[in-house]
Amino acid sequence: MTVTDLINRPDIGTLASIRLRAREELCLAEPISLEKGRVHEVTGGSADMFAVLAASRLVGQIIWIGRPREINSLSPTGLQNFIDPARLILIECISRKEALWAAEQSLRASGTQCVVIELSSGPNLRESRRLQIASEEGGGIGLVLVSGRVQTSACETRWHCEPSKAGRNIWVWSLTKNRKGQLGSWRVQWSNPLKRGGAYETGVIHLAAATAA
Amino acid sequence: MRRVLYIWLPQLPLDLRVRKQDPRLEAPFAIISELKNAWRTTHLNEAGKQAGLTPGLSLPDARAICPDLLTEPSDKTREDALLRALWRWADALSPWVSPDPPDGLFLDITGCAHLFGGEKEMGQFAQTRLSDMQITSHIGIADTKTAAWALARYCSSDIQIAKAGQTKEALFDLPLEGLRLEPKLSSDLRRTGLKTIGQLSDIKSAELSRRFGLSLTKSLSAALGYAPDPVSPKSADTLYAARMTLPDPIGFKDDLRHVLERLTASVCKRLEADAKGARRYYLTVRCVDTGDHTLQIGFARPSYEQAAIMQQFDRPLDELKIEFGADWFRLKAAHIEPIQPFQISLDQHKQAEDDTYKVLSTLGNRLGFDRVRRFMPVQSHLPEREFVQVEAIECREAVMWHPAPRERPIRLVNRPERLVILEPGRPPKRFQWRKSIYSTLMAKGPERLSNEWWQGDGGGVRDYWQVQTEAGPRFWLLTYPGSAESVWYFAGQFP
Repeated sequence: MTVTDLINRPDIGTLASIRLRAREELCLAEPISLEKGRVHEVTGGSADMFAVLAASRLVGQIIWIGRPREINSLSPTGLQNFIDPARLILIECISRKEALWAAEQSLRASGTQCVVIELSSGPNLRESRRLQIASEEGGGIGLVLVSGRVQTSACETRWHCEPSKAGRNIWVWSLTKNRKGQLGSWRVQWSNPLKRGGAYETGVIHLAAATAA
Repeated sequence: MRRVLYIWLPQLPLDLRVRKQDPRLEAPFAIISELKNAWRTTHLNEAGKQAGLTPGLSLPDARAICPDLLTEPSDKTREDALLRALWRWADALSPWVSPDPPDGLFLDITGCAHLFGGEKEMGQFAQTRLSDMQITSHIGIADTKTAAWALARYCSSDIQIAKAGQTKEALFDLPLEGLRLEPKLSSDLRRTGLKTIGQLSDIKSAELSRRFGLSLTKSLSAALGYAPDPVSPKSADTLYAARMTLPDPIGFKDDLRHVLERLTASVCKRLEADAKGARRYYLTVRCVDTGDHTLQIGFARPSYEQAAIMQQFDRPLDELKIEFGADWFRLKAAHIEPIQPFQISLDQHKQAEDDTYKVLSTLGNRLGFDRVRRFMPVQSHLPEREFVQVEAIECREAVMWHPAPRERPIRLVNRPERLVILEPGRPPKRFQWRKSIYSTLMAKGPERLSNEWWQGDGGGVRDYWQVQTEAGPRFWLLTYPGSAESVWYFAGQFP
């Protein structure tokens, strides 16, 4: 039996084709990269900026799921330095269950490259596994922004992002969990060498200095 | 030579109730509406007429004459809906139909009458079909619109035909109101002793226009065919709907799905043929015991895909409780828009976009479309008014965002949160916000904004400060200058 026959078999077809697909990576700045078709968790004070910068490197619509408080506090006038606000689609969910359902549905669609979910406490093993399967199907990146405690989960990586007092657009990103590689901590700076004050540009992420891993 | 047929529906509001088999119609019954500052009778049934009532009586007078009178206010929406339905039906007679609200239809029947065997037969055909539907009608056929209108309304017979070229003779004995004049003008004419259209045509038009204005001569020449007065060929909006009535009630989910499949197939086929899509679909299920239930789904972009419609209806159908079964179904497409077909297999980007819209439809149908939103810029200098959130499906074209003149936070709290000041300053040197204590490292400001006086709300002048804390986060603090004690608020957070 050839591989093609195997894929075409209805019972294992979907699984096999997913496994055979080469996984791509989204590189924010060497060596910081996020694997596509995976769910990543982000914690810390500037977790939303991590998501915005990751999304700005992708094309298409970004689905941003959160509770009313978080959704209504996003300000596109500030965001437009980093990303085109017209690309953001906001989904207001009133419960955690609803948010997870919406995230799963959006991740499953192949058209969405990036889905951001804001949760008060991290997804547990079952919830994150479900998200993981959905994003494997769709091939997009799922970013779970956790404002409270994280739990043991099936996420690919977990980042802790804090703003730095060193200046504007400087953050400290620490990789605190990585299923496939090493951990690390970097100070990153976002700058836009081409234009200043222009609307929604991708900009460049510089690695200012690597702090202790 | 043009030929025009006019169908007058004198009892349209009553017919509406006759069709519903309203038991009140046995006794004296009247439709009333508010005219000249009083409730007056407009339509009366036979029993009402026999009791001595006439249209135009005020309600207290009518009640005095006939104490048993039952009345109901006229329902313009339903009457209009019935007229529109008849408008679509009239397509069977002629392709050129235009409604004459509130109770008539103009049909240009030039070259159509022979299909029915002549004008008289055509009139009879229309009248029979209408009376089958329990609708009373009077029909007039003439060369012009006004003449047909006058013949239908002011002749005693049900079908009145003026032969081609004999309009003047046919109108000779009809009252002046047949010219569709304004009420004031016709009462002026009556005061001068002119009562019929025939009397008018003997007078020179120059003299008439000098005495009564141009509108009279214009209507007269339109009625006699000297001036053009065409039937505007407007066809009724196509209705994309399908209905199914079953001999026995059904209740199983699978059966319901089969019914829905057939209904969607017929609606989608028609939509596809016209290259149109609908944003909303309504499915009405009539249960034998609990009456009508309307299920509704929406799409983020117009769609005619049967599979998608079936999929979106899955959940509402599951939630529908049917105990004794349902035997009547109707699917209606609404918010119809033209769609451009495209080749699916070649355009990968388009396919991805399509997929996104599909997700938005799914999310919207479950959560509500008001909770799937998108940003839209607004012209304002106040930070909280620089943008709004609109429903994503309503926002159809791309919007242009202009760069902000000054740095703005990425998180903006809706209502500024008051800070607990631990060490005062301008801005405070140490403060507490949401259970954490921060100390100021650097500050930039103030950015003074005054309120929009043209919006007519207070708020006063505010000062915004960018504060870099020692812990790292950069805050946007707000204070109102000029107040006695300095109170600081948290307004937002920078990236």
